Amino acid sequence: MKRATTQELKTFFESLGTDYDLRAPVKLHDGTRVLGGLDEGPLALEGGKIPQKPTSVFFPQFDEVFMVSKDGQFHAAEPVKKPIFVVGFTAQDLDCLEFIDKFFSENYRDDIYFNKRDGAVLVGVSGKCGKDGEFLKIAGGKCDIELISDGECFIVHPHTDKGKALVESLKASECGCGGVKMETLKEESDALPKDDEETIDKASELIRAGKVPDDFWNEIATRCIACTSCNLACPTCTCFEVYDREQDGKMVRQRIWDSCQLDGFMREASGHNPAGLQMQRTHRRIHHKLAADVERWGHRTCMLCGRCDDVCPTDIGIKSVCKEIVERYS
Amino acid sequence: MSVMTKTIAEETGGQIYQPLLCKIGSKRVLTPLETLFRIELPEGRELGHRPGQFVQVSILGYGEAPISISSSPTRKGYFELGVRNAGTLTGAMHELKEGDKIGIRGPFGTFFDAEKLAGKDLVLIAGGCGLAPMRSLIQYCEDRPSEFGKLTILYGAKTPGDRLYKEDLVEWGNSNTFACNYAVDGVPDGACFDEGQVGLITVLIPPLSLDVQNTVAVIVGPPVMYKFVIAELKKKGLTEEQIVVSLERYMKCGVGKCGHCAIEHLYCCIDGPVFWLNEISGIRGAI
Repeated sequence: MKRATTQELKTFFESLGTDYDLRAPVKLHDGTRVLGGLDEGPLALEGGKIPQKPTSVFFPQFDEVFMVSKDGQFHAAEPVKKPIFVVGFTAQDLDCLEFIDKFFSENYRDDIYFNKRDGAVLVGVSGKCGKDGEFLKIAGGKCDIELISDGECFIVHPHTDKGKALVESLKASECGCGGVKMETLKEESDALPKDDEETIDKASELIRAGKVPDDFWNEIATRCIACTSCNLACPTCTCFEVYDREQDGKMVRQRIWDSCQLDGFMREASGHNPAGLQMQRTHRRIHHKLAADVERWGHRTCMLCGRCDDVCPTDIGIKSVCKEIVERYS
Repeated sequence: MSVMTKTIAEETGGQIYQPLLCKIGSKRVLTPLETLFRIELPEGRELGHRPGQFVQVSILGYGEAPISISSSPTRKGYFELGVRNAGTLTGAMHELKEGDKIGIRGPFGTFFDAEKLAGKDLVLIAGGCGLAPMRSLIQYCEDRPSEFGKLTILYGAKTPGDRLYKEDLVEWGNSNTFACNYAVDGVPDGACFDEGQVGLITVLIPPLSLDVQNTVAVIVGPPVMYKFVIAELKKKGLTEEQIVVSLERYMKCGVGKCGHCAIEHLYCCIDGPVFWLNEISGIRGAI
C-alpha cells in the first residue's frame, strides 16, 4: 500500500479534478472545516468529522426536483456534469451513507438522490487524524479508498476496484513496513472504547420495551427550543418539504430539508396534527432512530457521529438523552 | 408495497416526482366547500388504481397535495377526486375550469383489497370527507355486488348541508344493493333532515344485525372518529382482524421519502393509508 503526505494527496486530488467534481475537507478563512473545492481553502484532512452532515453532498439542503419551461414542458433535474469524488467521511459517516443509500433506493428509487450518488467515489478518513489527535475508527470498507493516518502520513487503502485503479496514479512511496503499521493501527482501532455503542443500544432496548415513560419525554421536551439543529446536522435525517418557485420565467419545484421538531411538520390542511405537542416531537426524534427504524430496517439509524450533541444548545443530543435514559431506567 | 401505476411511471421515465399533466373533464359542486373533479388521462388511458388509493395532485406554483380517489376503477375512462377547499393547493384547484390541466402522480398507497373482502358482509362506515375514498369502494361494490355478501353503508356528517355526494346517497339508499343508514351531528335552524338519525355516527352501529363471523367493517373518517367507532364495533363482536381503516396523514411525496406521514416505523403513504386494524394496534399515535 502507498503512504502519502497531505501534499501528495492534494496533488492527487487536483489531478482528478478534470474527471470528477471534487469535495474534500478544506479550512475556510474563518477556520471552519467544510466539504468544498480545493480552491476554497487549504486541504484539512485532520480534525475529525466535518461539522456539517457529509451526506449533504448527495442530499443537499436545497435540490431541484424538476423545472417547467415557458412552453409547459417538464424537464428533469440536470444530470451531474461530472461524478462526485468526496473525501472525508469517517467510519460513522460511511455507516450513515450506507443507510441513506438503502433508504433512498427501497420501494421507490429516488432519482434525484441517485443522480448525484451514482458513479460517486468515496474516500474515507481514519486513524490518527481526529480532533485534538483523537483516533478515528478504521472503516475497513464501505468506501472506495480509505486514508488511514499513522500520525505523520496517510496509508492509502483502496477497498474497491475503482479505488485501486484511481490510486495507481497517486505519486507516493510504498509503505514499506510489510503491513506492520496497518496491523498496529487496526489494533488501536479495535481497542477504541465502545461505551457510546453500549449506552445507545441499551437505551434503544429500554425504549422498545416501553420502559421510558412520557414524563421523561415531557422533561426533555421542555429543554428543546425547536431550533432544528439536530435534524440539520444529522447525516441520517432525510425529511424534506417541497415547494415551487418562479425563476427566470420558469417554474422550478425544489425540495428543502425539513425538521420533525417543528409544529407544522405533520399538520394537515384539516388542522389535525398528530405531532402537535413538543413532547410528541421530541419522542419522535429519538424513537424514530432507536426504535421505529430498528423495526423497519433491522438496526438503529443513529450511527453515533455525535453531530446533534455537538450542535444542540440545550444538551439534548441523542447521546446525552440516551445516557439519561440508561441512568434512570436501567 | 404500493406501486406507481405503469402508465404514469413510463410517461415520466422513472422520475418519481414528475407529474403527468391530465385534463379536468368536468367539475361538480358537492357543497359550498367541496367539489368533485373528473380527471382524464392523456389518450384515454386508465389510471390503474384500486379503491382506497390516492394520487398526488400538482398545480405548478402552488405545490402538490395528496387527494383520495373517489371513483371506482370499474368506471372507465376517467377517475374522480372529491376535494375540500382547505389549503393552498386545493384552493387553487377550485379556481381551475373544465379543460384545464393538472399534474397527477400515482396512484399510491395500499387499498381496500377486494380479494380479501370477497364473500364477506361489509359494513362501510364513513364520516365527513371520509366518504370520498369510501365512494371508490362503494362504487366497486355497486358494480360487482355478486363478489360480496350483505352491503351496509353508514355515513355521518356534521349537518345535512355538509353531506358529500348527496345524489349518490339517495341512489345508494334507493338501490337493492345497499342497506344505508345516515346520521348528522345536528340540524341547523331552518334546515331539515328526514333521511336518517340526528346524532354521532356511532348511534348507527348498535341497531345493526350482523353475521359477526362473516363481517368486515371498513372505516374512513376524521381522526377523532376512529376510536369511538372501533369501540362500538368491538361491542358488536368484531375483532381487529375484521376491521379495516384508512388513515389520514400529511403526505408530501407519496413515495415514503419525505417523512411527514410516518407513524412510528410505518409510512402512511406506502404502508397505508389502508390498514387492517390488527396491523397497527399498539402503534402509538396511529389511531
